[in-house]
Order: sequence, then structure tokens, then C-alpha cells
Amino acid sequence: MSERIGFFICHCGINIAYRVRVEEVVQYAAAFPGVVVSKDYLFMCSDPGQDLIEKEIKHQNLTRVVVASCSPRMHEKTFRAACQRAGLNPYRGFHMVCVREHGSWVSETEDEATAKAIVLVRAGLMRVTHQSALYPSKFSVNPNTLVVGGGIAGMQAALDIASSGNKVYLVERQPTVGGHMLQYDKTFPTLDCAACIGTPKMVAVGQNKNIQLLTNTEVESVSGFVGNFKVKVNQRSRYVRTNCTGCGDCAKVCPIEAPNEWDVGTKMRKAIYISFPQAVPVRYAIDKKDRAPCVQTCPAGINIQGFVALIRVGKYREALDLIMEKMPLPGSLGRICPAPCETKCRRQEVDAPLAISKLKRFAADQVDWDTLPVPTIEKKPDTEKVAIIGAGPAGLSAAYFLAKKGYHPTIFEKAPQAGGVLRYGIPDYRLPPAILEQEVNYIRKLGVDFQMNVSIGKNRPVGGLFKEGFKAIYLATGAPKSVKLNIRNEDAAGVIPGIDYLNLLNYKQPVKTGRKVVVVGGGDVAIDTSREAIRQGASEVMILYRRSRAEMPAVKSEILAAEEEGVKLELLVNPIEILAEDGKVCGIRCIRMELGEPDESGRRRPVPVAGSEFEIDCDMVIPAIGQQVNPKFLEGTEGVEMTPWGTVAADPVTYQTSFPGIFAGGDLFTGPSNAVEAVAAGQQAAISIEKYLLEEELAEKRPGKPTGSNWRGIPKNIVRLPRAKMPVLPAAERIHNYNEVELGFSEEQARTEAGRCVLCGSCCECKLCVNECKAGAIDHDMTDTQETIEVGSIIIATGFDPMNPAGMTQYGYGKYRNVFTNIEFERLSNATGPTAGKLLKRDLKDPLKFTDPPKSVAILHCVGSRDKNYHEYCSRTCCMYALKYAHLLKDKCGHDTEVYNFYIDMRCFGKGYEEFYKKVQAEGVKMIRGKAGSITEDENGILTVKGEDTLSNRLIEVKVDMVILCTAMEARPDAPEVMRKFGIGIGPDGFFQEQHPKLAPVSTPTSGVFLAGACQGPKDIPDTVAQAKGAAAECLALSSAGQVEIPPMISSIDPDICVGCQLCLGLCSYSAIEFNKFAGVSEVNSAICKGCGSCSGACPSGAAKVRHFTDKQIFAEIDGLLLN
Amino acid sequence: MSEFEPKIVAFFCNWCTFTAADLAGTSRLSYPPNLKIIRVMCSGMVDPKYVIKAFLNGADGVLIGGCWPGDCHYINGNLKARRRVALLTEVLKQYGIGEERFWLRWIAASEGTMLREVAVQMTAKLKELGPSPLKNMGQMAI
Repeated sequence: MSERIGFFICHCGINIAYRVRVEEVVQYAAAFPGVVVSKDYLFMCSDPGQDLIEKEIKHQNLTRVVVASCSPRMHEKTFRAACQRAGLNPYRGFHMVCVREHGSWVSETEDEATAKAIVLVRAGLMRVTHQSALYPSKFSVNPNTLVVGGGIAGMQAALDIASSGNKVYLVERQPTVGGHMLQYDKTFPTLDCAACIGTPKMVAVGQNKNIQLLTNTEVESVSGFVGNFKVKVNQRSRYVRTNCTGCGDCAKVCPIEAPNEWDVGTKMRKAIYISFPQAVPVRYAIDKKDRAPCVQTCPAGINIQGFVALIRVGKYREALDLIMEKMPLPGSLGRICPAPCETKCRRQEVDAPLAISKLKRFAADQVDWDTLPVPTIEKKPDTEKVAIIGAGPAGLSAAYFLAKKGYHPTIFEKAPQAGGVLRYGIPDYRLPPAILEQEVNYIRKLGVDFQMNVSIGKNRPVGGLFKEGFKAIYLATGAPKSVKLNIRNEDAAGVIPGIDYLNLLNYKQPVKTGRKVVVVGGGDVAIDTSREAIRQGASEVMILYRRSRAEMPAVKSEILAAEEEGVKLELLVNPIEILAEDGKVCGIRCIRMELGEPDESGRRRPVPVAGSEFEIDCDMVIPAIGQQVNPKFLEGTEGVEMTPWGTVAADPVTYQTSFPGIFAGGDLFTGPSNAVEAVAAGQQAAISIEKYLLEEELAEKRPGKPTGSNWRGIPKNIVRLPRAKMPVLPAAERIHNYNEVELGFSEEQARTEAGRCVLCGSCCECKLCVNECKAGAIDHDMTDTQETIEVGSIIIATGFDPMNPAGMTQYGYGKYRNVFTNIEFERLSNATGPTAGKLLKRDLKDPLKFTDPPKSVAILHCVGSRDKNYHEYCSRTCCMYALKYAHLLKDKCGHDTEVYNFYIDMRCFGKGYEEFYKKVQAEGVKMIRGKAGSITEDENGILTVKGEDTLSNRLIEVKVDMVILCTAMEARPDAPEVMRKFGIGIGPDGFFQEQHPKLAPVSTPTSGVFLAGACQGPKDIPDTVAQAKGAAAECLALSSAGQVEIPPMISSIDPDICVGCQLCLGLCSYSAIEFNKFAGVSEVNSAICKGCGSCSGACPSGAAKVRHFTDKQIFAEIDGLLLN
Repeated sequence: MSEFEPKIVAFFCNWCTFTAADLAGTSRLSYPPNLKIIRVMCSGMVDPKYVIKAFLNGADGVLIGGCWPGDCHYINGNLKARRRVALLTEVLKQYGIGEERFWLRWIAASEGTMLREVAVQMTAKLKELGPSPLKNMGQMAI
């Protein structure tokens, strides 16, 4: 059958006809092969227009129809329906050509527009004959709806849909619903209070059985299609369970404060908080970020931010408890810890890192250890015995944690007193023995058995302890053996290794100290040794170190303290020979070094300078260049492997050695390290040993180390403060005795220092709230929950953000205390705000303090709106709320308060708005037509607003106490992300784009996804609510229809052509193509395919095609466009 | 002799650039009538043979318009278009069609003004270059 084509062109009133000579196009088409009807009409989309098409199809037996009119995005559906009614398959029989948006409206002359229209029509006429019949698939509609955003738009839409009996999932990312409207005080023009009309909606949303409220929740991804969406949502953990009663006891004890987002920073809240008293759900939430870098860095995982916060609020006992959760030796380590945590402290971005280690000492020094209560421990049976070899920090730590779990650890120590290197390696002036003693006593009180003066080894081998009834053994004997210099005369009298020297002195053994002492090394032992030698009466002490000062591994403050005490540093010097006379030291020969290329440790390698040898007179040489493991204790035990470096080999995670049941840790495993690493090792060993005794997998379910760097921001205006300085004994007073050099912080010092913490993690997990909560609702270990929701329709009601005017420096926002934004003013005026509803000025010094009511106020309209530099659009609400502010100021601060409104135009367009304007004017508010140009502040905080009065053509200046900036409503910064997730569009103003500005104001390009409220453009509450109801109606229409048609323009693969190369499989973003092994061809799953054509564009054999966009159809269109 | 008027065939994706062309119309932003649009669902479905066909049929320039990377309605069809265009550009060069005749542009639904800019620039560029060297090959079936 030959084709009978009908052509119809629309005038669109004059929109097309004013440029396109419609008659000429009609004539052109009439002469086109196959065209039997060619007609024009004033409005083709109108009923008579559609009737015309339908009648012609029937009367003329048309097989194809081409309509030239507006964009197919506008009326393609309309004309398809008309064709279908007249019996044509709309996909086979109809094509639409755009001669308005792409024709008349973008052409400058009639000739141009007409010629272009003819070419476009020709392409359409050529295309249409190649089209095939297609049939949309029908799918049922899930009647449930997802509403994204819990502001007034979202709440209203949810309530409307819920009232139909369908289910609504209301997702809100904040901890409470309400949105901006609930932040406001009064609403214009009626002046009803926002809370009075808003909170009933919130309560209704919270209680409606058809609404599932998901606060603290964000949409992760959306898949599916209209009627059948699958939405993945992530509910961020609140750390508070649903049985929270909202009593607020937790917030009272919380030591962490943060600016309250709900009050736009005008008021503080705690880390556990509720946005405002009427919040829904009335359930507290904890603001928890990633754990602070100090906590992440501490080898023992001490909750540093927590104990520091507790010190700040004076809760020293609680601070100590928190430390002791992870580390049993706070007083000792508080004195000697090298504090790796401090190197990561973010306070150094402001000034200097916190003195974390010294604060730990402070906490430990505040309690009476003798009366420190021992926790109640549920004891295991007596047979659950663990042997620990070595009473150093690793051994003590393992014993402590095992005892706390109810096991029965026994520590075997060959020395008379516990503490290991803390007791015998560290001089008393740094760590007084009494401090260590009280901590060891506390560990003893937990039930640890200390067997002192017991040597494990040849006579009582490690392996034999199993026979004595111990079920597991922990080796923690450290690295007590000194490393030799390996130079001549190292065995001469007067040469004594550093660690041996310190041991002897700590054992109170007689040891002869020379007059002139040379210490070799740059670590802590070298420094301790040199300071000991000073105290032992040496007249001259010199440290030789082969690199420069920057490379010295010793604690920096200790190096300085040694120098204060008279120790001399000889840097870049290496000993090459000890000089001896009659077997006694008489000097040391050295060579000067210089720094070369960096070595594997990253430090620059020292290289000898040829010919720079020199001699130093001395009578004592103390090598302190390193320590190693002494494997003697393993004599008589087989099966514990050693590494080539002489340490005990063990699993790096479980610390189990090659001998099952024997674990190792501390310096014995790592080689010489520091005390906090040893404590951490003991902690891990205790975990392993417990698992071993319970016969669990050792490597599994171990507590992980916190990670992440999503920390709280450091406020820009933070005040710089010096790091607390540790009070010390003057050098002259301390060099002849063993009194502790560092005296400890005063209480005031400690609390001020703790106050410098920048609270990286927000919540510090001090857990005070947990103890306080009578309902037992707080759970710090709660995790985020993911859920997939199935819905048929989606309403996006994500709202707007008020513009931050800080960038407009002429107004001094953020600099001048009494320049407020509109939202700040709303919070001031609101009864739950910082001033309980009083309109007060800010204190000039403290931004969180409010003083007295202003006597005069300027209100600046259009801040960021109708401004080429920011937003060209009008924010539509500012004129009205500015009038409301003027009224509130007169009402609350007295009628003598001067109020100036600087406006461009007054836009009072809504119902009752103009009347409200008149009423406020009658109250004596001064209206100045003209934009304010600048604000300056004098020393008393008086603000001068300069502007132009365009009605009288003069510049004016007013002096006021307060300025309110009516800032623009702008799209949320993450609107583009939301756009991508839901497949909707964004307009040039940044707001979501509706499908049609007049006729489809809540629809989007993705069918089934609708818009409501200010996310689509600035609007006031009445308009927002109206739009929400409109969106709800769209969703309900979908649900009640029960069925949707899905456009049939999807891909298909011709099995006769497909060669099975499977190129398309990798290209399909929806995994809609599968390979049929039996047929050897790829196949499209039509339920999943979206019709993007990635496969058809790439198919080398031309087998993959998108229906309605086949090669023939596109080629015909190209032919039509390019025909001469 | 009248001035040379280049013919530009534009393949615009339905979601971004076609919508931008609608916006240019609604905003009455006039641009040279040389550019004529073929609507496709995604820039990723533009088969190289469409481009070759257009040049063989006498187009002086071909423009592909798609969504900005990351904004594709079909996740990443535009990125596939970008890869394809890069390769096709090399192929076309062999036949005397330089890259200045074959453009790929990201134009979002809201960028009506940008659409006009591109149309103006491309028309001007092609006027400067003169007719396509394939112009006289006549219509060939491929």
C-alpha cells in the first residue's frame, strides 16, 4: 500500500506565524511525494485542531501524520493521542517537527524562518515513512510514595497522601522534621506563629500510621521507573534508640558544645542534642564525626578527646577512668610518653598542639590511688591462669586487661620490683618510683599475682609453665641488652653501657661515675644517662651524636632540660676509638661527620669527613646507641622461633608465637620501641589470650582501629592561645638531687589547656550520657542502617538555603556583631531561640551574648536577590518578611524604635499582602526606595548605613543599632547531586526545573518524580503548601490509575545480524544485555533497558538498535535536512 | 554570488542539549538558521555512521550535543560519545574533514545562551573554512 501522508502546521497564535510563512510551508508539503493532505490551523493543540487531524486521518485514510508546531517535549503526547484515537499506531504513524522553539523563535527574518521550517518539515516527512508500530508496555503502580525533605512542603504532601490510605516514606536529613518554616517566628501577613501552625503538622507526620518517618536519612540511589522505583536510603546513626523519652538529662552532662544549626549558630548545643524543644521525633541525637586524629594515632587507642573534655569540665576522676579503659599506667606514661598523638593534633593548624601527655598526667595526679575503687570483676574459675614473663609496661598491661576480664594472671619478674624499664630504665627525677608503685598496686588489687625475683629460663623453662597449670603464656621481657659500639677498648674500665648505668643507679647499686663523662647516642637513654651523670657528680658531661640535632630521636624537651643542666652536645661526631691507659679510659678519638643522602629511615645519612679526627679527654664513656633482646629466658624451651634480628617471631595481628598458647609483645617482639607501644601490645595480647582460652579464632572479630578524616571544622575566628608551659624546678635546684623536675600543671593551667581542644570528633565518647540516661537509650556503637524502599512515585521537597552574605564585604556581615541575617533575626524573635524571643543586640565582644533592645534598626531588602553579581531573580518573600520584621520591632521593642526599610520595589502581591504593607506603613516604619550601598561600624558598635533615596535623588546616611540583611533564597549546594540521583533537571537559577513553567509546575523530565516547594524556586509558605498539594495529587493520580505505560523506545538486538561479539554487554550501564550462550547472540532484557542507545551506537554489525531511532529513520532525517 | 551558508547537522540529546535548544527558543535567543537539529535520546547513541552519512550528504559541519559529564540521564552515555568522537575525529581527518568541522559540546538544559554561542561560533568557523571537501561527492549510500 502506498503511503498517504497528512501534514499539519500550527500558527501557535502568531508565535510561529509571525516569522514562518505558514502558507508557503503548506504548499511545499502539499507537493511532497506521498502527501495527500497539507493544512494549517491557528492552534493545532486545541480541541478543534486535534479534531482536524483525527478527521483527516479517517476521511483521507492517512497512514502517516507529520505535525509542525512547538517542541515535541511540549505536545508530542497530545498529538500521539489524537493519532491513536483515529486508529493510527502513534509510533508508526506520527512524527512531530519543531518550528517554534527551533524555528520562529530563534530566527531573525521571515525568510530565514520559513526556509528553515521547510527543511525541518522535509526531514520529518522523510522520516515518518520509515517508522514502525510500537506498543508501550504496561506496568502496575506501587501505591506508596517517597517524599524527600521534611519541611512544610514535604510534611504537607506526606499528610495528603497518607490521608488517602497509601503509605508514605518521609525522608529528612536533619534529626527533626520542620524545615525552615519552623525556624521562623511569625508568618506574614496574618502574623500567626509558625510554631503554632507548624508543630501540629510535625506531630501529625510523626503519628500518622501511614507515614514512615526517616530522619537523619539521605537517599543514596534511585533505580527503576515510574510506578516501580527502588530507592536506597541510608539512615545515619543517631546513637540514641527509640526509647529515648526526650528528658534531656544526657545533654546536661555532655562536655562538648557546638553551635546549634537550628539556631544558625546564635546559640550553643551539646554534642547530644535535640534541635529545638518541639522537634519531631522527640528523640536526642549525637553529633559524632570520625574519631579525632589523636585517638586514631595513640597506639593504645586512648580516648584522648574524651579525657581532655572531661578535664576541661573538671571531671578528673571520670577522665582517669576513661584513660584506664585503655591504659593502666596514666601517671607513668603521662610523664614519659613520647606522645605521637600530639604530632597529629589539629590544634597546631591554629597555634600549637595540645599538651596531651601532660594532661594525662594531670588527671592521674588528681586522684588518690589508695582509695581508687576497684571495679567489680566477674572472676573466672581459678584454673583460668595465665603466666606473664616480665613486669614491664607490656606485661603489666596484659595482666591488667586479663585481670579485668576475670582471668588469673601471674607475673614472673626477675627484678625485685615491678615496672621493668619504667622502674629500672627511667631516672627517678623523670618518673618518681612512688608514682609507678601506686599504679602497680592498683593492678595488684585487681587480682594480679606478682612473683618477684623469679628467673624464668634454664632452671624453670617457659614451656614448663604449662605443666604448672598455666593455660597461656605471655612473653614480655623487653630488650634490656645494650648494643656495642664495636670499637677498640670497649672493655676498658670506665666504659659502661647506658642502660646498664641506669639500671645500676635505679637498683641503688654502687657505681663509679667519672669526672669527665662522654655519652654516645642521641636517644632518650643517652639523655637520661647524661642527666644521671650530672646528678652523680660528673663535672663535665658531653653527648656525642653522629647526626644533627633535628635527627635526635630523644624527646625535644628532654634535650633542652639536659642542656639546662650543663650537658654539652657534640653533634655530627662519631667515636672511632676509645683511648685507654692501663686498661682505664683516658679519652675518646672521634671523627667529624656530615649529612649525605637520606637513608631508608628517611633521615640524612651521616658520612665521615676525611682527616677530621680529634680526641676528647675523658675518664668515662657511656655507649647508648641501642638495645636488643636478651634471649636467655628461652633457654630450655623449644619451638619459639626468633627472627633474624634477634626478636621473637609472632603473628603481627594476634601476637601468637610459633608455639601455640605462647604470645609475645613489647620490645621483645618489635625491638626497642616506647612504653605506649608496649602497653598497646599488652592490650592486644590480652584480647588474643582470651580468644585462645575461649577457643575462638584469634584473628577474627578483633576491635578495629578508628579511621576517617571527616572531622569538625575549626572555626575561622578561633582565638590563638599559647600551649601550657610545664612548671619545672630550676636547673640549679635540681642537678644535685632526684626530685621530680616537671612539677605538673596547676588546675587552672590544665583546664585552660584542655579548652584549647578543637573537638575534632564532636562527640568525644566520654559516655557520661550513657550513665545518665535512665531509659538506657544511648548506644554509642550504633551503626548506620541502609534500607531499600519500593515506591511508585517520588516527591522532591528539599527546600532552599538562605544565602550567606559574608562575601558581600560592603555589609560587614560576620565582622560587625549587630549585622544579622534574616534567619538569625527569626531565631532571635522565636521563643525557642537564643534570647527566648526578645529582640536584643549582640554583645560587641561575645557573639553568643545578647544585651539590650535596639533603638534603631535598618532592614536591607534584596541582599543577593535582583543583583547581577549574585542572583538575578527576585526571592519573592523578602519584602513581606521585612515588613513583618518592622512590625515585630515596633511591637517588641517599643513604638519609638526607628525602623528603616531600604527597598528597590515593594512586591506585595499575595492575598492580604498589600493590606499588610499599608498597616505596617501606618505604624511609622520609614520606607526608603533605594539599595543600601555600605555599612560601617564605629567603636561603640553604632552602624552607619549609606544608601541612595531614589525618590528624592539624594544620598542618605542613617545611624542604627542593628541591621537585618534580607538574604536571597538560593538552591541547596547539593542540588546537582540530587538532580543526578533522581534524573531531573536544574534551571539557570540553580533550582530544579519543572517540566513546564505554567502547565506542569510540579512535574519533571522523569515521570513519577515530582517537585514541591522552594527546591523548584523561591516561594512563600502558601505557595509552597499549594504546590505540595499539587504534587500529592499527581502521586495519587498515578496510584489510583494503578497502571503506567512505559515508552517503547528501547533497544533490541536482531539475532539474525548479531555476531555475539558482546561489545554491548560492557557498554550497557544498566546491565540490561545478556549473552545467550546457546544462540550465540546478545539479548536485551526489555524490563531493564532504558533506551539510551549506547549499544546501538557501538554495535559493529548494526544488530543493536533503539526502536524509533533506527538507522533508516535517522538516515532519512539526515537526507531530508541536506537535500539540495 | 551569495555568501556561502554552511550546513550544520546537530545531534542533540533529548535531556540536556535538546532542552537547551528549547530554552534558547523560549528565551528568544536567535542564532544562525544553518544549524538544524536531529533529536536523539542520548549523545551516546550517535552512531559514527550518522556523522559520516551527514558529511557524505554534504554537511559542512556536524555538532553533537550532550549533557555535561556526570549529568547524563543514562548514567554515562555522554562519556561513550566522547570516546567515540575522539576516534571518529581521527578517522575523519584521513578524509579531509578536520576536527574544526566536527564538534562535541556539553550543553546543559539550562544553558540556552551557551547553545546560541556554539551555533554562532560554529557557523562563523565554517564560513571561514568554506565548503566541506566532501561536498561534491554527491549522495552516497552507505
